Amino acid sequence: MEVQREIVLPTTREDAWEALTEPSRLEQWFATEVELDLREGGAAVFRWGDGDSRHAEVVTVEDEERLVLRFEDDGVVDLRLADDAEGTRVLVRETSPGWSTALELSALASWAAA
Amino acid sequence: MGSGVDRVFDALADPTRRFVLEVLAGRESASQSELAARVPVTRQAVAKHLSTLAAAGLVRSERRGRETRYALEGTPLEEAAAWLDRVGTEWDGRLAALARHVEERASAETST
Repeated sequence: MEVQREIVLPTTREDAWEALTEPSRLEQWFATEVELDLREGGAAVFRWGDGDSRHAEVVTVEDEERLVLRFEDDGVVDLRLADDAEGTRVLVRETSPGWSTALELSALASWAAA
Repeated sequence: MGSGVDRVFDALADPTRRFVLEVLAGRESASQSELAARVPVTRQAVAKHLSTLAAAGLVRSERRGRETRYALEGTPLEEAAAWLDRVGTEWDGRLAALARHVEERASAETST
């Protein structure tokens, strides 16, 4: 089961990649405090002002192309960048934690939709 | 959980069981004989299908007097809908914040 969203940012690929991967920039839109070791297997920690925090591991890094993080609850966030006439397209896919549950639910959903 | 997935897939793989679920989806609950009247298999076969569906967590049963009633277990679907809704809303908010962040930086740069 997954959620997919996209947005076109009026900026370059380089700038969009920075906004998604540099802790000081992530701290301006994503979380209050960010640690991100940007290499495969690297650790990431996101903390919010309300005391909430999430830990993740970098699964994939392709410079200015793709960043995949696996969170401690097994949820996966996959960010992809692509050129767009208006700037840079960011595609986000978040896959639900608990793969088996996801399979069960997607099986159910496809049955319900059929 | 692996066996849970297998059970759900096995349960959904059979067209008769999918039909039983469809019938149950259209009503609050049904007895075995009510289901047997709608589903073109023997009553014993209906009973077997119901136990497979119950083992997969797709159907729940409850005794009402001398009769056992069967109903669709909607919780997994409701949980799925709630997750999709929550995570989708979170990303809508985050991406709007990302766009603002990028735009603010761009306008700060042009004004300096």
